Amino acid sequence: MSFDLNTLLSAELHDIKNLMQGLNSCHETLAEQLQGQALYQDNLANIQLHSQNLNHRLIELLSILKLQNPDFNCSEDEHWLIDTLTPLMHEFKQLNNLDIQANFDAEFNGFYDEQLLEIALRNIFTNANRAGATQVLVDIQEFDDGSWLIQLTDNGPGFKSEHLKQDTFTPQGAESGLGLYLIEQAVSAHIRAGKTGKMKLDNHENGGAITQLLFP
Amino acid sequence: MAKIEEMLAGKRVLAIDDLVESRSAMKKMLVILGADEVDVAKDGNEATEFILHNDYHIIISDYNLGKGRDGQQILEEARFTHRLKAAATFVMLTGENAMDMVMGAVEYEPDDYVTKPFTIDVMRQRLTRILTIKESLKPINEAIDARQNEKALEICDLFIDKQPRLKLRVLRIQGRTLMRLKRFEDALKLYDAVLNERDINWALLGKATCLFNLEQLDEAESILNYTIKLHPQYVQCYDLLSKIHVKHKKLQDAQEDLMRAVQVSPKQVLRQMELGRLAFANKDEAVAEKAFKQSMRLARHSCYRSAKNYLLYAKSVQHKISTANTRDSRDGSKDAFRALEEVKALYKDNNDYVFEATILEGATFTNLGKEEDAKACAAKAAKLLENVMQPSGVQQLSMVQLYLDTRQHAKAQDLLAEIDKRGDLNKTETRELKKAQDQISEKVVREYTTEINDRAIEFFERGQLTQAIELFDKATVYKEAGLAVLLNAIQTKITYMDQRAPTREMVNSVNDLLERVGSIPASDERYSRWQQLIKNQQRLIRSL
Repeated sequence: MSFDLNTLLSAELHDIKNLMQGLNSCHETLAEQLQGQALYQDNLANIQLHSQNLNHRLIELLSILKLQNPDFNCSEDEHWLIDTLTPLMHEFKQLNNLDIQANFDAEFNGFYDEQLLEIALRNIFTNANRAGATQVLVDIQEFDDGSWLIQLTDNGPGFKSEHLKQDTFTPQGAESGLGLYLIEQAVSAHIRAGKTGKMKLDNHENGGAITQLLFP
Repeated sequence: MAKIEEMLAGKRVLAIDDLVESRSAMKKMLVILGADEVDVAKDGNEATEFILHNDYHIIISDYNLGKGRDGQQILEEARFTHRLKAAATFVMLTGENAMDMVMGAVEYEPDDYVTKPFTIDVMRQRLTRILTIKESLKPINEAIDARQNEKALEICDLFIDKQPRLKLRVLRIQGRTLMRLKRFEDALKLYDAVLNERDINWALLGKATCLFNLEQLDEAESILNYTIKLHPQYVQCYDLLSKIHVKHKKLQDAQEDLMRAVQVSPKQVLRQMELGRLAFANKDEAVAEKAFKQSMRLARHSCYRSAKNYLLYAKSVQHKISTANTRDSRDGSKDAFRALEEVKALYKDNNDYVFEATILEGATFTNLGKEEDAKACAAKAAKLLENVMQPSGVQQLSMVQLYLDTRQHAKAQDLLAEIDKRGDLNKTETRELKKAQDQISEKVVREYTTEINDRAIEFFERGQLTQAIELFDKATVYKEAGLAVLLNAIQTKITYMDQRAPTREMVNSVNDLLERVGSIPASDERYSRWQQLIKNQQRLIRSL
């Protein structure tokens, strides 16, 4: 008997998502129950770190599968950027001590695929953290034609010069280039009136990496 | 924005999930966030009970609830029955992105989707946002709940200037309200303005709906095809496309549209019923049966339950039932009887439904070849019909059909005469009437001519040819007279002329009869007899 790989994958992933949801909930309950008990906090933090990492890798895997699907359609909808950003801000602060500051109107809302933007942001923050940055500043620019730009500036060493020269990014194994590739894929999936989303990399004059994501 | 704890205080919340762990985790999460009255339900039936007996401010439901109904159906029923007001909030938990979801009708979309797996942080953020928006839009939604649509439109206009960030949400409500008021031209302008900025799914469907109602069917169709290309899961587009094809009288295409829709979303009762009707009209019995079975099963514990679900299903399985004792036939009749018993029990006080069920029972017995049982059903149905104050043409015609099926032609003829006097039949009913009349004359006449033929043969065998010819002349007046009757008549007349003398009149009469017989193939056992009669006739002609 042969299986349709996609059906099998979907069924398995559906189950894993539910299991992951259960694990998240267990952790939250435990954290609630052990509040104020210093003895358990380190282990609790470790469990949280691992389960959240697992959670993110699962979401990332889902998004990669989605992006690779030939029938993939970007699922743009109206979202409030602060809602997408806040859980990431808390998470990176808590787990990586990375300080993410939202330097824009909290009421800003735009049209984007939330899962894809989450992937892009998570990779930008992970890159910043790995490069040694301790802070990321998030700015927004809105344009009259309805397009908008999110700019993320960190206080790390900045991008390597070869990255700045690259037009497109291809993954060189799991540890190299995958992040930038996914960010680019996530943003370029957004298309409106013949215009495609773009990623632009730069370095700040005072050091630090600047990543700009333009949404049409 | 206010804090979530303040927003949830005093609010009644219903959480629906089929997995026990997820259910209790969701309840805990909501309590941590500040909700103090949280009910939990494990499936659609339990949720419906809760919704029926309590007023909820917020419902959070998983989309996938296992075998039974899904979250979208719970939402549709809650809104359809007005148990969940426009001002109340419905959040759908999904394993997918919102836009990958099976999207419901515009008026039945959730207020928000939260993608699984989610953390308490995500839930806090999403609930805070949606409850803030709901609070802002409260005056509009309250006007809608009070069915003050014009007032709702006025508030919408004021709102867009005051809160530009909520412009799209407000425009969406405004579009829906305009359509409710049948102001399709105005709604069309609104959707065009939105689409000028960006291709948004709800605006595309809204525009197509307006164009459909304004009879601009080709434009509506091309927008729907475009939208389906962008969002293949948007099942409402298939529904509307199907309606357009029905208007164009392309019933096969209309059926295919709905088949695509049920592939994406198989649990919608009304869609399954419509698919069943179309397939039945297209004589696609297998699809009709499957669709009606689904609609009956799905509607059993829902607000969409109706006698029609059961009756149409019983009708759709008739094609399988026959006098042959096959498994298909046994299963089909068992299913039909079960559905009809259920409808008679559920709607025992409704004479019309019990009548219709009894007629279908009769038809089932007829197909099984159980004439006596079918006749008993016809008698019961006739009594039920007597109790109907003003029976409809459809009811009377279905009674006629059962009479015909049970060979009670005299009763059928009496009732047909009564129907003929009504003068209020529509085109289809008139066609049915004509068909029944044809059926009755054909049957009666065929039986009559056979009876005369038998009597004529007796005369012929006794050599009383004049009497035999008289009877054959009587029988062959009818165009329905069969081949055997015609050949017998010819033979009698030729024998008569052989014994007496041929006459021009009788020869012509035999010629007419031979013409009516036409050609008989050599493989037919009556071929040689026919050939012999022709030879004899030619001989008689020559001797004239």
